[in-house]
Formats: sequence, structure tokens, C-alpha cells
Amino acid sequence: MLLPMVVPAVITGFIWSLPGDPASLICPPNICGGTEALARRWNLDGGAVQFFLGWLIDAAKLEFGNSWRLHQGLPVLGLLTAAIPTTLTLILLATVVVVTGGVLAAKGTLPRQADPAIRFIGLVPALVLALLGAAFIELTYGFDSFSSSGQFARLAVGAGVLGIADGAFSGAVLGTRSTFDTENQQRYVGVAILRGELPIENTLPNVAPALIGQMRARIVHLLSGSVIVEVILRIDGLGSLLWGGTLRQDFGVVLAAATLFAVVSSVLLVAQAVLETLVALHVRRSPRIQVRP
Amino acid sequence: MAFKNAIRALTGLTLATLGTGATLAYFEESIPMSLNPLYAKTMADYRATELVFDRLWFHDAITNELRSRVVQKYQVAEAGRAVEVTLKTGVRWHNGQTLTSKDLCFTIKAMLDSRTPSPVAAHYREFIAACDARGPQTALIRFKRVLPNPRERLSFPILPASEFSSTAISPDLQFSARPIGTGPFNGKRGLRMVTFDAFANVHHQPKLVQMQLQEGGDPLVQTKTLINNNVQGIVVVPPPQRPDLSASDDVSMKSYDLRSWWYVSVNTNNPALSDVKVRQALNYVLNRTELRQYSIGVKPGEKNSPCEFISGPFVRSSPYYNASVPVQAAANLSKAEALLKSAGLEKLGGRWHANGEPITLRVGMLANLDHEAPDLLSQVANQLGAAGFDRLTSKISADEWDNSVMAGKADFDLVIGKWSFGLVEEVNELFSSSGRQNMFRYANAGVDAVLKEYDDAVTDTEQRDAYHKLHKILSTELPYLFLWKLDTKSAWRTEVRGNIVAPYYYFTEIDSWSVDG
Amino acid sequence: MNRSWALIWAGISIGLLMLAAAIAPEHLGTIEPDRVLKSPFEVMPFGTDTRGRSLVDYATQGARVLALPALSAGVLVALFGVLGGLLRCSGSERVNAWIQWVTEIVGALPRMVVILVVALLLPREHRSLFPLAWTWALLAAPGAMDEAAAVAQRLGGSRFVEALRAHGYSASRIFLVHVVGYNLRPVVVRQGAETMMHVAFLEIALSYLALAENQPSFTHADSLKSWADLLKLGYPSLIPSLDYNSGHALVLGLLLLGLVAMSAIAIGRAARAR
Repeated sequence: MLLPMVVPAVITGFIWSLPGDPASLICPPNICGGTEALARRWNLDGGAVQFFLGWLIDAAKLEFGNSWRLHQGLPVLGLLTAAIPTTLTLILLATVVVVTGGVLAAKGTLPRQADPAIRFIGLVPALVLALLGAAFIELTYGFDSFSSSGQFARLAVGAGVLGIADGAFSGAVLGTRSTFDTENQQRYVGVAILRGELPIENTLPNVAPALIGQMRARIVHLLSGSVIVEVILRIDGLGSLLWGGTLRQDFGVVLAAATLFAVVSSVLLVAQAVLETLVALHVRRSPRIQVRP
Repeated sequence: MAFKNAIRALTGLTLATLGTGATLAYFEESIPMSLNPLYAKTMADYRATELVFDRLWFHDAITNELRSRVVQKYQVAEAGRAVEVTLKTGVRWHNGQTLTSKDLCFTIKAMLDSRTPSPVAAHYREFIAACDARGPQTALIRFKRVLPNPRERLSFPILPASEFSSTAISPDLQFSARPIGTGPFNGKRGLRMVTFDAFANVHHQPKLVQMQLQEGGDPLVQTKTLINNNVQGIVVVPPPQRPDLSASDDVSMKSYDLRSWWYVSVNTNNPALSDVKVRQALNYVLNRTELRQYSIGVKPGEKNSPCEFISGPFVRSSPYYNASVPVQAAANLSKAEALLKSAGLEKLGGRWHANGEPITLRVGMLANLDHEAPDLLSQVANQLGAAGFDRLTSKISADEWDNSVMAGKADFDLVIGKWSFGLVEEVNELFSSSGRQNMFRYANAGVDAVLKEYDDAVTDTEQRDAYHKLHKILSTELPYLFLWKLDTKSAWRTEVRGNIVAPYYYFTEIDSWSVDG
Repeated sequence: MNRSWALIWAGISIGLLMLAAAIAPEHLGTIEPDRVLKSPFEVMPFGTDTRGRSLVDYATQGARVLALPALSAGVLVALFGVLGGLLRCSGSERVNAWIQWVTEIVGALPRMVVILVVALLLPREHRSLFPLAWTWALLAAPGAMDEAAAVAQRLGGSRFVEALRAHGYSASRIFLVHVVGYNLRPVVVRQGAETMMHVAFLEIALSYLALAENQPSFTHADSLKSWADLLKLGYPSLIPSLDYNSGHALVLGLLLLGLVAMSAIAIGRAARAR
């Protein structure tokens, strides 16, 4: 629960170390005056700690000010409010793709003969698919590519790219299969088969913590990948704000977006802990397994 | 007078309503960072603010004469150290209020306010001293020195005093995204698009109802989108896409004079490059014809080329250009070698050495210039390599350019850049030893003396003569290796009519633009 | 693929990458307008780009940018995985709590922001993929440590160690052979191999984004080309309406990535449990 405070503090330290400062980037002091006044206005004149504490106090009141450079003059809160549902939708849709791959692999629905094809699909970098997607959308929608239908198309393509490219889908399939393959070599699995039980009924509770950890790592990976996909596909989500804000040293935008990222990570952690607890309870309960004829 | 203005406004409104009612959608190089003209940095910013604001004076795109849409009359005062301006009545801001002398003086005071960190304002602070309102529509603008042609210098956009609480204007105010001007369009910046809605006024009667600007993505996709009529124009067409668009019957290419010239700046603080013979040798090493051919696509001998070589810091059409100074279009490696040897350099193993150490030149180029002149950096590096110099090449981001290179903190030996002079071709800041844009702090007493002559000049002729001398000196001294002046090309669908493209600001004559069908 | 073949494939693909990196030129060749976008059949072996320059330069320079940093990042992640597994076997609750705490914070950081900041902090003359690859590895380490710790936990953690000690095995044998060698090996090597692939994808994404944002390259000197340039050159060939004959560049880019993937897969296969 401290993550939404610790993460922006760490991020402040990182972006504070960037060369130059946002006030000087507006106009170098040797060319025009007023930079000091601007630094005071943006609370940059007292060091990183002062800046962070001031930001934290304002953030508690939901006062994030206006964007300094990325979308100059637009309120940061407005940018976040628009970005959050966009990124969440993107990640959710991509997670569905990834989880589907894991489930199909666990159930054995995806044959091993399909592995080379799955690996090949995983080879395709997000960059290529995203560029293709962006070109397709822009050629199809033309100037309306940022209308609501165009935006939806971008989201759908982005989710597909995120969920498939950069080994996301193939990693879920092959990683899940590899985890089960390793577990299936345990002696108790052989015993279970002799008893007429399905291996997965016995192995799943044991591999569940590893799988949950894998899936959380994959979702975190999707979150990182969403930055690239959002920038290339020009989706106005948190990733796009983070990337553009960092590049332009728009501290207010970066910290606010990073905090939301941390919140999402916290939620994932809590979800992981809950799921692992449920698995542990299930194992403790040792429910009888149906013997199949 | 008020009745006449009311009639004009009504006529304008009627015309706008009965006009084509069309929306014009176009791709820009980038979405404008700010719609506040005080914080305009990129050309996209300048072009966008031209739609929203009126500049006090501007150059007519066709006749080039100085005009104003907001000034009724003017008078030079105080022996050339001031100008009294009387504004037209009835000109309205986009918020409905009328333009008065208070707004004009507010704009000047904001620019002079040291708490306004505006690079645009920094230029005007050099010569504007103060502004006093002498009546509701009359203001006296005072200068720090005599200006031979003051209207030439007063091309700043006017800001509304009613929208600000003080003259300290910060860039993150909402005004940067929701500006209020007196221009033909009211602008609103979104995340991916800027929308400009027509605003009829006594001095503007735009035929377009709305303009929409988006950042263009992949150039290939932009080109196809234009040909497919999913957008009406592309403001800056990169050279590789020009042949395809020129070949299309539905698209016409327009020349866009960016009022700029390209150069390679030489770091005279580098011991090897401090010798003028070495700089002259580098000038002979560069094969400008080849650079132009491979980067911009202009073949040797091509007529009406958008890219003209220059031999000094002015464009050829400028009265300041000294035509007696020849251009070095082709390389002359034997001359270069002779100069390098006479400068005391040795060629060992095919590489030039100074004091026994091999010379490695660190060459940088502003990154976004790669769109206008693809691979120019690698070509220059290859030519230097062929001449016997080791080199390290780097692109320079816009922020590093502004804060490091232009601040004199760059650690490059050669920097490829583009100097956009807007409409006033003053180059003192580039070459004066105390110039704020003298990136390598080049210092030459002769150059300083000539620049002082220019500053002290009271007539156009004196200014011209001073700059002719400057051109001659710089062509020998070579703190810059001058490359070319490059016009860019825009592409507009043929349905877009009356689309006069003004130099630099582009949309100065937007009132005449219309869309058929 | 059996283990021997996997080892051979891994060796060949890594060897090819290293060879390509070694022969990469410092600067691209001269522009030849007559050879624009020629296919590999016209200009062997890989064809040319929009300036008539051979794509061999792109391939070799990209390998130079990518090969060693990706490999080193994979090794780093694998080592962290081993550390995670061993620490879980130590049975110390305090250590486990600290690791958990650090893992959560690192896992919650927006990775691309951290990567971008590291990239922007690098001095121009030291710009390379190494620092970014290692940063990525550090950020990915918690996931590897987590998974390895879960495997160690299922072994029985400290009880497993005690049991083996009761058999008379030495500590080094227990940890290096039984814990790491027999049990953690498949997991950590797979994690390392995946990280290698991720670094390759990260590099091409960062290279493209630098171009798109008018920035100097984040991952290599501007005189070098990356495989991202191949993909960017080649992807329009997939859109029929654009009528762009650069498919050979796309195929080359994907083949090169396939080579990296091949080595990652082969390494994973070679290290899998018996």
C-alpha cells in the first residue's frame, strides 16, 4: 500500500537526475530571463525532496496543475482521467489473449506440433505489428482516425499487438507448458495416474503459485509494452503520457502517471496474494479427486 | 466609422455562412507544443499561431510590402526612436471584447517583463524599450535605439490583456491550449488534433468554416491518405515523397519559403580548427553538389531548384547577399590538401594528424533536420572520412540544441544546422563575439566592427553595405561553412483554391483559402 | 530437439551473431542512387535500402548493437534467479521479507520510464545498449527471483537442504548441484533466454521511438544502424496499397530476430530438466 508513495518518490529521483531542468528547457537562462520565476512557480528551486513533497501534498487534493510541456496548458487531471480507462482497457484485452494462451496450454488443447508456429508468432516484434496496425488504421480512417471509431480500432489493434507480439502469447503458452512438464515428472503424478486421476487435477494446485507469479510478470511486461504500443499507435493512455512526459521533462505528468502505474501494480500484487492464499487453502482442504474410469 | 465597421462585420459573418462552409484538414510536421505565440518554438507553432493571432505588421505574401490588418495609421516619432500606432476600431477578440491600445501595450509589457521566460520575447527585448497608451486606440512604442524601418521589426502577435492577471506570462497557462486572438480562427488544442473555428471579424472574412490539424505519421501513409482524399494537405512533404505527389493529378505542390539557410558551424576553439586554413580546407572538402543531390534529390543542373547554394549568411534574394562572393559547389581535394599541409597538419596512413595526434571530428546535426535532408549527416561524415579525417557522428535533440549547443556548451567540432531568420535577416547574434546565438563563441574583431556598423546604421543602404562586408569577411574566415537555402514543398489537393502560401508563417493569407465541392 | 542438438544450435546462432558483430563496419557505405531497393537476387546477399546501400551493413551493425548486451542481460537475470532460489532455500524469513519488499517496489516501477531516463543520462560517447540491457535485467529480475523462489519452495526450501545434508552432502554440492543444477536450472535459464529476447525487442522499439521522436539514438551511436531500421524500411511492403518494394528488408529483419530467438530457445532446451 506504500507503493503509490514510494514509486513516485523513486521516479522523482530518476527524473531529477536528467540533464537540464524543465524551466530552462522552456528558455535557456542565457537567452531570456524569467527562468528563475518559472522554477519557483513549478517548485523546482528547492531540490528534489521539496518538489516531491509539494507534489504529494497537491496530489492528495487532486491538484496536479497543468501540463508544462507535453500538452502545454491542458490540466493534468483531465489527461489522466482520459488515459486511465484507455490503458486499462488495452491491458485487459491483451491479458485475455495471454491468459487464453496459458489456459489452452494447461489443458493441452494446443498441440505441441503447433509450437513452432506459436514461436514464430512470438518472434514478430511489437514494433512491426504496431506500425502495420497504425498504417492500416490511418489508411482506412484517414483524417478520422482519431474519431471514436478510429480510437476503438486503435485500442483493438493495440491489444492484439500487445497480447501476441514480443513473445507474450507464445511465452504464456510455452511457459505454462514448461511448468507443467517439469511438474509432471514428479513421482506423485505417476501415482495419481495409476489411481486413475487426471494429472492436471494434482499438479495444478502445486504449480499455481508459479503460474500466478508468471502471469503477474507477464502482465507487468504488458504494462511496459503498452508504452511502446501506445506511442506507435498514438493511443492516449498512461504509457503515452509517461513516455512523452519523461522525454519532455514534464514532471507533473510523469509523476501522476507513474503513481497510477504503481497503483495498478499494487492491485496486481494484492490479486496475486489473494490467489495464492486461495490456492493454499484449497491444498489444505485436500478435496477428494474424482477417479475417472 | 462604427456603422461602417458594423456593416463589415455583418458582411463578413454573412460571407462566412454562405461561403463554402468547408472544413480543411491537413497534416503538420508535429502537433504545436503551444498556441501561445510567446512560446512558439517550432515552425508548426508559428504556423498555428498565425491562424489565431494578428501580427502588428506582416509582409504581404505576393507583393512583399509591409501591411497591417489591425493598424489604422502609424507615425514615426522621436527622431526614429519611437512609433505611434493607431489601431483600427471594431476589431474583436475571440472572447468578444474589442482590441484596444491597452492590449498592444500589455503585449509589449509582457514581453519586456523579466518574469516571462519567452524566447520570442527575448528578441524584442533587444530593441523595444516601452509602450505607452495615448488613447483608447493609440499607443506609442519606444525603442532603445534608432531603427531605420521600425515596422519591419514589429511583427509580433498581439495578446489580449483581459485573459491574463499579470504581465508575467507562464507557458503552462490554459491560454497555451485555448488561446484568444483576433485572427481569422479560434484555436483549441487537443491531444492529437488542433481545431480552428472560423471567427469573422471586421478585418477577417475567412471562407473556411473550420480547419483541423493533425500530426502526420509515417510519410508513406500521409502521402497515400492525401492521394485518397482523406486529408486535404500536407504542409511539409519530405523529399522522398515528392515525386509520387507531383505525379498525382489531384494534388498540386506548392513551394514554401522557410526563410532559412543551412550551414556547418565550425568550433574555432578546437586547436586544429582555430586555424583559418583548416576551415578553408574543410570548405573545399565538402562536395555540396553531391550533398544536395543525395540528400534533397536535386540533380546537378536542375532548373528552378528549391535548394540554392549560398556563400554567406544570407539568401540570394536578400539585399544583404554579396553576389561577388562565389559559391563553392564542388569539392577540391587537392586545394584542401595543400591548405591542410600549409596549416602544419600531416597525413599519416591516410589520416590527418595534428602534433602527432590523429584528428577526430565530432560532427553533430539537429535530429529533426533528417526529415528535410535525409542522410545529410552520414554524407558529410563520409566526405570528411574520404578526405582523411576520422569522425564521430551524433544527432542532437531539440532540447539539447537549445540548452547546450546554442548556449555555447556543445562539445562538437562541427554542427550541421539550419538558421531560420523569419522575416528579419539580422545575423548579429550569430557572429558577434557577445552574440547570444554564437554557438562556439567565435570572436573576430573585424566582424565585430562590421556588426557595429550595422547596428549604428540609420539607413537601409548603410545596413546593406555593412552586411555585404560581413558576407565577404565570413566567406574567408569561415566560422560557418555555408551550404544552401532550402525551400520546402507542401502538397494540397486541387480542390483547395486560393491557397497562397506565405513565406515562413504560411497561413498569412488564409482568408483567401477555400475548398471546392 | 535433444540436448546435444540444442547446444549445437545455440552455439551456431550465438556464434553467427558474434561474427556479424565483429565484422560490422564503423560507418555506412556511400549512397548509390542506381541501386535503390534492389532485391537480394539483384544485389547479393541481402539487397539494398532506399539509398542503394547494402543491407549487410544494417545486419552486421544491428548485431553489433544487440548481441553482447542481450546475452549479458540474460546471464544477469539467470544469476538473479539463482540468487532468489538460493535465498528461499536459506529459510530466513527476514531475508525473504526484504527481498519481497524490494521486488514489489522494482516490479511497480514503470520500466520504460526508468529505461528512458537511463538512456537520456548516458553521455553521448558512451551511448550503447549495455546499460539499458542491464537496467532491463534488473527490472526483470524480481520476476525471475519470484519464480525460482517458488520452485525452491516446492522443493521444500530449507527442509530440502537439511534432508540432503543428512545424506552427507556438502553445502556447495547441495546448493550448486541439487538446488541450482537439478532444479533451478530449467527455470532460470528459460528466464535468462526470455530476457535475451526481450532485450532484442526493447532495442528495436527504442531505436524506432528515437527516430519517431527526433531524438538521437538511445541504444547506439548514430553512425550505426539497428535492426529496427530494417523493420521500419520493410513493413510498408505488407500494405499493398502503398506499393513499396522493401519486403526483402522485412524478411531480413525477421530472420535476424529469428536467429536471436533460435539461440534463446536452444539455450532453454539445452538446460531443461532430464
